[in-house]
Amino acid sequence: MHKFAIAIVVGLFASIMTIGTANAGETLDAIKARGVLTCGVNTGLAGFAQPDSQGVWTGLDVDTCKAVAAALLGGADKTKFVPLNAQQRFPALQSGEIDVLTRNTTVTLTRDSSAGFNFAPVTYYDGQGFMVKKSLGVNRAEELAGATICVQQGTTTELNLADYFRANEIELKPLVFVELAEAEQAFFADRCDAYTTDASGLASTRAAKAGNPDDYAILPEIISKEPLAPAVRHGDDAFYDIVKWTIYALIEAEERGVTQANVLDLKASQDPNIMRLLGTTPGMGEALGLDPEWALRAIKAVGNYGEIFERNVGTGSPLKLERGLNALWTDGGLIYAPPIR
Amino acid sequence: MSAPIIELRQVHKWFARFHVLRAIDLSVKAGERIVICGPSGSGKSTLIRCINRLETHQKGTIIVDGIELTERTRDIEAVRRKVGMVFQQFNLFPHLTALQNCTLAPIWVQGLPKRAAEEAAMRYLERVRIPEQAHKYPGQLSGGQQQRVAIARALCLNPKIMLFDEPTSALDPEMIKEVLDVIVELAESGMTMLCVTHEMGFARRVADRVIFMDEGEIVEAAPPERFFGAPENERTRQFLSQVLAH
Amino acid sequence: MTRGHAPNGPPPLPRGPIAWARRHLFNTWYNAILTLGALYLIALGLKAAIGWIIVDAVWLGGSEACHAAKGEGACWALIAEKHRFILFGTYPYEEQWRPALAVALFVAAVGLSTWRRLWSRALVVGWFVLFAALALLLHGGVFGLTPVSTELWGGLPLTILLSVIGIGLSLPLAVLLALGRRSSMPLIRAISVGYIELVRGVPLISILFMASVMFPLFLPEGVTINKLLRAQVGIILFSAAYLAEVVRGGLQAIPSGQYEAADALGLGYWRKMRLVILPQALRLVIPPMVNSFIATFKDTSLVIIIGLYDLLGAVRTATNDPLWRAFTTEGYIFVAAIFFVFCSFMSRYSRRLEQGAGERRPQ
Repeated sequence: MHKFAIAIVVGLFASIMTIGTANAGETLDAIKARGVLTCGVNTGLAGFAQPDSQGVWTGLDVDTCKAVAAALLGGADKTKFVPLNAQQRFPALQSGEIDVLTRNTTVTLTRDSSAGFNFAPVTYYDGQGFMVKKSLGVNRAEELAGATICVQQGTTTELNLADYFRANEIELKPLVFVELAEAEQAFFADRCDAYTTDASGLASTRAAKAGNPDDYAILPEIISKEPLAPAVRHGDDAFYDIVKWTIYALIEAEERGVTQANVLDLKASQDPNIMRLLGTTPGMGEALGLDPEWALRAIKAVGNYGEIFERNVGTGSPLKLERGLNALWTDGGLIYAPPIR
Repeated sequence: MSAPIIELRQVHKWFARFHVLRAIDLSVKAGERIVICGPSGSGKSTLIRCINRLETHQKGTIIVDGIELTERTRDIEAVRRKVGMVFQQFNLFPHLTALQNCTLAPIWVQGLPKRAAEEAAMRYLERVRIPEQAHKYPGQLSGGQQQRVAIARALCLNPKIMLFDEPTSALDPEMIKEVLDVIVELAESGMTMLCVTHEMGFARRVADRVIFMDEGEIVEAAPPERFFGAPENERTRQFLSQVLAH
Repeated sequence: MTRGHAPNGPPPLPRGPIAWARRHLFNTWYNAILTLGALYLIALGLKAAIGWIIVDAVWLGGSEACHAAKGEGACWALIAEKHRFILFGTYPYEEQWRPALAVALFVAAVGLSTWRRLWSRALVVGWFVLFAALALLLHGGVFGLTPVSTELWGGLPLTILLSVIGIGLSLPLAVLLALGRRSSMPLIRAISVGYIELVRGVPLISILFMASVMFPLFLPEGVTINKLLRAQVGIILFSAAYLAEVVRGGLQAIPSGQYEAADALGLGYWRKMRLVILPQALRLVIPPMVNSFIATFKDTSLVIIIGLYDLLGAVRTATNDPLWRAFTTEGYIFVAAIFFVFCSFMSRYSRRLEQGAGERRPQ
């Protein structure tokens, strides 16, 4: 009886404490040994990372993580999602609790350098904008002098807001909230004159929460650059390369017309670009320390970049965002992959 | 049997600056019955509470049944097992029945099996004449009944010495007798006892020695005949005239 | 002789609802006006509430049906759609019978435990066994159950787990702290006082925050301690400090005679406390203790800030879905109802306990 109890206690403790071997430079080995890729995601941001009604994670960031898992571990289901809030995300990555941070995180110089992270390619180009009530009669951001502005705390949004108002020498009256939802709520309850967050968020908020969406206007000014990209720790270049090139492969796939549906058929393609991408011509996967079909698996699992975008945030989704800056470079956007060769 | 069972030598105690016991010398033989009286604040309760170290003395020596009372917890607990105490306010444990009050210490201190402890406790409850109340809680008993349970509880540890700290002072007059009767019976059985009380009739009847205390000192100690018949000290005479007046 | 009033007793008050109303509601003309006014307002409120909650509510269908209702009625379709996520969080969908079973077992065990006749040492052991079993059930990895890592646990089972373990383990710690604070040993007293005051001086949210954000940075790289465990420990440590003060209040209310009587019997410190003082002291402080328990139960919802989906957090996340975002109120009402059921059970049961204890107290 006693031995049984001790066994249970020890078992519980063993399952509670995880002593990984994720030292710098060993992340890749650790992931392979574990067989699971641990991704830090938002605790709930529609379109980017959000559990659905069945508790299954969905979103653009989630699909990025799945693509990497498919390329690296052979299956999109070999993932574990750790929901993180804005303050937790960097300690979680630094401490090794997660392998890769796919949590709508803006690339900045200090995060890339002194914070000790490497950023993979941008998966979504966002920018900060303002939403106001039309009855306020404000048409441009410069006219917001003295207006109360609802903003979420602890993000680049708050800093950008201060910078923009200082640069334009207008008086700023921010009203700060810990949770994005609270800031929205306060705005629609008329506690502030304007609401600021990333433009992607403004559109979806207006669509979902405004009593009458036509009463609200999104101002034309975008006051910041918010390139959102996955991040990994400094010091494990092999893993960094895999994350980076998986994303490039998804972009390349869109550019070459490779989709989730036709990827298997296109293995027979004679286009040298597609042959290299899908491993018909070997060499690319091996260069990354993977097998030749790494990109094929990623595309098969989540589709190409365009498909991911449409499904999660694009016109096929409740968010109904335009491609805009996130169109391929060939369509006038910023999405561009270096050659896979 | 020449060695005294309780020996106090030059015991002093202070409550902060107040000198409550002054140079107490007292020696009690086994089987001796001592009644302590004196005006309130004279230190009589403090004196007997020093014997089982509910109070600590600061100077002098107290030896109980060969064990000197010091800081050592082990010695203190050994002494307490030999000394039973009955309080003015009964201090029964209200969350336990009369029987459970009695068996608590035998079970947990002496390690007696529950059955044996209950049998013994019932014998003592019969001796104090309330076996029928064994399964009631203290709140359901009268003051006199509670005090008798308290006496049974103290006896359950088979003490060599019993201390009574004004056992009848908190009782309604009609209940005093039932409690005193029990104590008298106990005295007649040869138990060593020290009793602080104002019941002079009781003192006359059972005491081998009556001690009068005033201002922290033992003023007079004598067998009851001499104590009541021909007190030597003026203060004793004064006290007795006041107490016996009513 | 019946129990009618004695001939020289006070005259009986008229009985019945009309007499009662006349005495309490219409005894003066201004009270009558107040009564009528209040009744009118209550009726108005009830009509609006019933209209919104029941008559005009949308019970089934997609979010379009709810949007079509234009806020006239509540959107209970949200609950129909999202209840699994709200109740069980990100726990794998096919495996959600496990947390459901765990909650059912827990509720059944609570029901059994309220039955006084079953109170014994075996019941305490039973609870420990039950919790080990529930943890195994949720965690899996044995008896052919798929392992489900604790990061995925969420919703109601998480709330129950955090609060019951929090309450269960903080009580012994609180008792030790309270005893420590009253100890005659200066070092122990200083540690207890320092701990209690330090923790009480800090909000729970900052303790959870430190546990989740700061703590991992102090560990060697690669060593991580389970997030759930960190939150659990944080909750235990926090509520222990508050409970300790409650327990201390009870200890102080016990008359010194009880301590002396126990000393005189030679019980020694620990037996004195365990057998004599604590049973009385804890019974005295049942009301503030339950107050503390209810606070702990509700405080567990703060774990959302460290990315665990308790009941409340699950609702917030569920209503982040753009399709359902307009109906957060309904989600909150749903969990408020669940919280209410649990909390009111605790407070009602504690009242019964007090009454039971009252019989045994001296008059």
